[in-house]
Amino acid sequence: MKPFIAFTKKEMLEYSRSYKIFIFLILFAILGMLSPLSAVFMDDILENFMPKGVKIEITDPTNLDSWMQFFKNGTQTGLMIMVILFSGMMAKEYEKSTLINMVTKGLSRKTVVLSKFTAALILWTVSYWLCFLITLAYTKYYFPDGKTANLGLAVFSLYVFGIMLIAVLLLGAVTFKNVYGPLLLTGGFTLILFLVNIFPKAAEWNPLQLANSNMRVVQGILKLSDLKYSLLTAAIVVAVSLVSSLKIFDRKGL
Amino acid sequence: MFRMLKDSMEYLPIILPLLTLQLVLMITALIHLFKHPNVRRGNKVVWVIVVVFVNIFGPILYFLIGRGED
Repeated sequence: MKPFIAFTKKEMLEYSRSYKIFIFLILFAILGMLSPLSAVFMDDILENFMPKGVKIEITDPTNLDSWMQFFKNGTQTGLMIMVILFSGMMAKEYEKSTLINMVTKGLSRKTVVLSKFTAALILWTVSYWLCFLITLAYTKYYFPDGKTANLGLAVFSLYVFGIMLIAVLLLGAVTFKNVYGPLLLTGGFTLILFLVNIFPKAAEWNPLQLANSNMRVVQGILKLSDLKYSLLTAAIVVAVSLVSSLKIFDRKGL
Repeated sequence: MFRMLKDSMEYLPIILPLLTLQLVLMITALIHLFKHPNVRRGNKVVWVIVVVFVNIFGPILYFLIGRGED
């Protein structure tokens, strides 16, 4: 346990020295503010872009618009940035052979992989929930009487989707010794999820549901019972990715 | 005009923090840029322009690919 904590601390120190913590926090805080802001502003923006004389019916923005922006920004921008920022998590260690010293001095390879995962998880957790809290605060401020159903579940499922991407990214990072391998693997994995989504029967099990049906959860159309298989699949993907990362890393030359 | 002023007052609680964060991002990148003698790619002048004029992503790009080693 002690080496695990020490190595995780070292990882966090590295994220702080490479300004990644700083970037993550500021970026996700900005994303959190942009969602309610664009919901509030959408009317004015549309009005300005319309040619004179053209009238369009715009309903007043509601808190749901704000959450729609949150889930759109969160999935598209937030997850993408997270994946890109984490893509080099192993490449640098391989490239500079920085792990050789530690592993030959007795640090177990499992610890390395698990610490990498934990550190990424901590950073994702803190910045994601920070983003959520900021959006929540502003949405409550601008739309005081807006109601949502199952907001917690919607936010949590996107969080789980993020964890799953980190696990897949880690598998890629351990397997390929460069920055592009993990990116391609994660991209390919997401693409497969989209392809699987074509079949209606598989959609229920598809973890993609966690990232693209959040609005239906917020509106109360979907419930936990509709998402439970997706959550289960996501958990399985995380477990399989972690175990294979451990196995593959055991046999990799440093 | 009057309506716009009233509107902007209403949005101030969200725009002000947003601008502050962008400014913090930009200034941190600029301080780092001026304190370090060299950059990994390109040259310093280009990075100053990118950091100052490309909103949000300029400073992030600098920290990710332009930052010189400590």
